[in-house]
Amino acid sequence: MTSKAEFEEVKKFEKDLGQCMKCGFCTFWCPVYQEERIESSVARGKNMMVRALLAGDLEYTKEYAERLNKCTLCMTCTANCPAKANIPNIIVAARADKVKAKGVAFPYNIVYRWLLPRRKLFGNVVRFASWFQGIFLPKTQGTIRHLSMFLSALGKGRYIPQIAPRFLRQMVPMVNKPTVANETGIRVGYFTGCMTDFVFPEVGKKVINFLTRHGVEVVVPREQGCCGAPVFLGAGDLATGRKMADTNVKAFADFDYVVADCATCSSAMKDYVKFLADTPERQEAYTKFAGKIKDITEFLVDVLKLPPSAYRAVPEAKGKKVTWHDPCHLNRHMGITRQPREILKSIPDIEYVEMPNADRCCGMAGSFSIYFYDVSQKIADKKMAGIDATGADIVVTDCPGCEFQLIDTTMRHDSPVKVMHIMELLE
Amino acid sequence: MLRPEIITQLQEIVGKPAVLTAKEDLTSYSYDGTATWAHLPDVVVLPTTAEQISRTLKLANENRIPVTPRGAGINVSGGSIPIKGGIVLCTTRMNRILEISKGNMVATVEPGVVLQDFNLALAKEGLFYPPDPQSFLGCTMGGTVAENAGGPYCVKYGVTKQYVVGLEVVLASGHIMKLGGVTVKNRTGYELMMLFTGSEGTLGVITKITVRLIPLPKASKTMMAIFDDMVAGGQAVSNILAAGVVPAKVEFVDNFVIRRIEEMTPMGLPVDANCLILLQTDGSPAAVEAEYVQIVDILKESGAREVKVAKDADEAMAYWKMRSAGFAAVFGAAKTVMAEDVAVPRDKLAEFIKKLGEISERTGFFIQYLGHAGDGNLHPAIFTDINNKEEFARAEKAMEEIFEAALSLGGVLSGEHGIGLEKKRFFSRAMDPVALELMKQIKKMVDPNNILNPGKIWEEEGA
Ligand SMILES: Cc1cc2nc3c(=O)[nH]c(=O)nc-3n(C[C@H](O)[C@H](O)[C@H](O)COP(=O)(O)OP(=O)(O)OC[C@H]3O[C@@H](n4cnc5c(N)ncnc54)[C@H](O)[C@@H]3O)c2cc1C
Repeated sequence: MTSKAEFEEVKKFEKDLGQCMKCGFCTFWCPVYQEERIESSVARGKNMMVRALLAGDLEYTKEYAERLNKCTLCMTCTANCPAKANIPNIIVAARADKVKAKGVAFPYNIVYRWLLPRRKLFGNVVRFASWFQGIFLPKTQGTIRHLSMFLSALGKGRYIPQIAPRFLRQMVPMVNKPTVANETGIRVGYFTGCMTDFVFPEVGKKVINFLTRHGVEVVVPREQGCCGAPVFLGAGDLATGRKMADTNVKAFADFDYVVADCATCSSAMKDYVKFLADTPERQEAYTKFAGKIKDITEFLVDVLKLPPSAYRAVPEAKGKKVTWHDPCHLNRHMGITRQPREILKSIPDIEYVEMPNADRCCGMAGSFSIYFYDVSQKIADKKMAGIDATGADIVVTDCPGCEFQLIDTTMRHDSPVKVMHIMELLE
Repeated sequence: MLRPEIITQLQEIVGKPAVLTAKEDLTSYSYDGTATWAHLPDVVVLPTTAEQISRTLKLANENRIPVTPRGAGINVSGGSIPIKGGIVLCTTRMNRILEISKGNMVATVEPGVVLQDFNLALAKEGLFYPPDPQSFLGCTMGGTVAENAGGPYCVKYGVTKQYVVGLEVVLASGHIMKLGGVTVKNRTGYELMMLFTGSEGTLGVITKITVRLIPLPKASKTMMAIFDDMVAGGQAVSNILAAGVVPAKVEFVDNFVIRRIEEMTPMGLPVDANCLILLQTDGSPAAVEAEYVQIVDILKESGAREVKVAKDADEAMAYWKMRSAGFAAVFGAAKTVMAEDVAVPRDKLAEFIKKLGEISERTGFFIQYLGHAGDGNLHPAIFTDINNKEEFARAEKAMEEIFEAALSLGGVLSGEHGIGLEKKRFFSRAMDPVALELMKQIKKMVDPNNILNPGKIWEEEGA
C-alpha cells in the first residue's frame, strides 16, 4: 500500500535516520519536550515514528502530522547530540514526503501555495487585512493591536505588531547609492523578507541607510519574493518551495552578496540546496546562491570589517541596558554568534549584558506557533525569565520572527522591556 | 487491547490529556536505549501524584493489566519496555525537587526529576550527589534508583543504593508505603528500601526519593594516561587501588573509541595508543596535590607511555566529554551493537582483559570496550547485524563466552544496567538457585498478580 517511493525525501537523510541510538539526551535540550515531557515531542520520538512509518507500522494520520509538526526546528537537539544525528532534517523531509503523498492541508494550501509565491498579491491581502484591522479591532497600547482577519489565522488572540501603513517596497528606491565619499566598491542585493517588508519596514530603511552611509551600494531587486521557509520547511511543500527559490536565485543573479536582516530567511535560503535541489542545475545554482548570503551582522563584521567606532546607539537607547537573543537560525543553523556580540560590545553608549540561555529557542518558529500557541507561549515564558534576569531595558535580536514572539511575550507579561532589531539600535 | 471502560477510568484518574492512546504515541513508548527490544503498550499514563499512581495500580491489579513503570526510558537493558503490553506508567511529569536541606545534607525529589536538573540545583547550594550514570542528561531519579545506577564517581563514592535514605513506594495493591526517612542512620527493622532499590520496576512504583548528599569537593585534578598495552592499563588500575589511593574516577577508553572520537570531533588524542585511562582525584586542594603526584608515579611505573595532566577546568571537561561521547562512538559503529555490562573484581581486571583478547581471537569477533575501570565494570561490545541470522547467532555465543569469563573470575552479569530483558536468559546461571527462588517468592508476595513489569529479570516458567 505504501510504496517505497513515498519516502523519497526521508531516504535522502537515511544516515540521520539511522544515526540516532536512542540515548535520549535530546530530552534535556528540546524546548518542546521541556514543556510537554512526552516522548513524541522530542527528536528521538519523532525519529522513531518516522522509522515506524517506513517500516509500515504507522500510516499518514492526523496524529502523525501533528506530532511531526510540533517541532521548532531549533536544532538544539542536533547541536548537543553525541551521535550528531540531525533529526530536524528528518522532520522536514518527512513533512515533504507527506505532502507528496497526501497533498497540503488547509489553510496551508491557500496561503502557502498560492499567496506567498505572489508577492504583490500577498502585499495587497496584507494591506486589506490592515485596513480591516483599523476598522474592526480595538487599539491596544502603542502600535500593538489585536489581530485582524488574515493574520488572525496566525494570531489566536496574541499581541502582534500592526501591519505597516506603508510597506518597505513602497518607501525605498530600487537602487540606493552610497552616501559617503569613501566608497567601498561593494554592491549588495538586499533581501528584505516578508516581515521586514510588511511589518517592520523601518528596520529595512535602517539597513539601507546604514550600509549606504558606510559606502555600500544597496539594490532592492523588485522581483524577489518570500524566502519559502514556511512553505518548504514548515509545510513540506517542496514543489512550491522550488518555484520560490528559483525566483530569488534569479532576482539576485547579478550580486556577489545577498544581505538579509532576517535569520530565518537567510538560513532557509542557504537550505535550498539541502532540501530543494532536484536537478544538477539547481544543485549548482543553489550552492552558488548559498555562498552569497550574508546575515547583516556577519556582513558588517566579517565583510565590511567596520571598526568599533562605526557602532553608536540611537538616542533613545543611550544609557540603556541591552541584552541579545540568539535566533536559532542565526546561531545553530548558520553558526553566527560572535558577530552580533562584537557589534553590541562596541557600542559605547549602552551597557551590554549577556542573557542566561541567550541561545534558547523563543518558541516562534512560524507555523509552529500558529498551531501550538500554548506550547509556544510556555517556551517564550522561559525566554522572558532569562530577559528579566538581566534587568535589561532592551532586548535585541536579528530575526523579525523572534521579534514578533518577543513582542507578544513582553506584552503578555506586562514587561517594560523593549524589543528591537539590532539594526534599529544602531545610529 | 484494553476495554474502553478501562481507558475511561484511567482518564478519570489522571485527566484526559495525561492518557495517550494514539498509535503514534504508543510507538514512542515502545522502546528504550537498547537496539533490539520493542513492544507497544496499550496505553500510556502520565500521573502527577502518588495518589493517581495508587488508583491506577489498583485498577490494573483488579483487572490484571500489566503495568510497566517508566522514567525517561533510556535504560539499556530493556527494563522499561512494555513487553506484555498494558499500561506504561511514565513519571516524567513528576519532576519537582521537593526539598534540598543544607543543614541535614539530604534532598527529597519526585521520581521524574532528571538527574542533571538535580545536579544543577544542588551545585547552587554547594552540594553534591555523586552517583553519575553517564546518561545524566536524560535519566530520571526514579529510573536510577530502580536500576541502582552508578557511574565514574562510584569508585570513590559508591552507587545509588549508598545514598538512598528514604523512599515512598506504591505497591501493586495500590497501598502507598513510606520507607526509611531523612536520617542517614536508621536501624528499624528489615532494610526494605533496598528491596526496591534496584528492583527494576517489578515490585512497586517509586513516588518519592530522599537521598543523602555530600559537600561539593573543593578541588579536583584530571589526568589522562596513555598505554600501548591494554593489559598493562588494567594492571595499573589495580596497582593504584592496591597502593591505598582511591581516585574519584577511573575510566577506560580503548583504541577503537579513541579513533572514532578523533574522526567525529578531533581533539588531538593519540590515535596509536592501545588504551587511555582517565582519572580524577578530588577533595581538599592539599590532598588532591599529594594524591595526583602519587597516581602519576604509579601510572608511569605500570607502563604508561605518557601521563597528561589537564591544566585547567576546560581541558578536564574536554577529557570527560570525550569519555561520555564514547557511547555514541560505539553505538553508531554497526547495524547492531551488542554491548554488555559485566563487572569483575578490580584485581582481576588485567586478567579479564587478557581473556577478552583470547575470546576475540577464538570467535573472530572484534571486541570493543569502554568502561568504568575503577569499578572493574567494562562494557564489552560486539558489532554485528541482527538481520544476518547466522552471524548474529555466533555473536550471541561469543557474548556468552564473555559472560562465562567474567563469572569465572568472580564477576557479575551486570554492574549497573540491570537485567531487564537483555540479560535474563543468563540470569539463572549467574544466581545462586536458592536466592533466585527467594526472589521469585518475594515477587509473588509483593505483587501476587504479577502486574508490575512482568516478563523481566528471570525467564518465566513455561516460557
Ligand atoms: C548513553 C547512556 C549511558 C549510560 N551510562 C550509564 C552509567 O554510566 N551507569 C549506569 O548505571 N547506567 C547507565 N546507563 C543506563 C541508564 O541510564 C540507567 O539505567 C538509568 O537509570 C535509566 O533511567 P530512566 O529514567 O531512563 O529509567 P527507565 O529506562 O525509564 O527505567 C529503567 C527501569 O526502572 C524502572 N523504573 C523507572 N522509574 C521507576 C519508578 N518511579 N518506580 C519504579 N521503577 C521505575 C523501569 O520499570 C525500568 O525497569 C546509560 C544509558 C545510556 C543510554
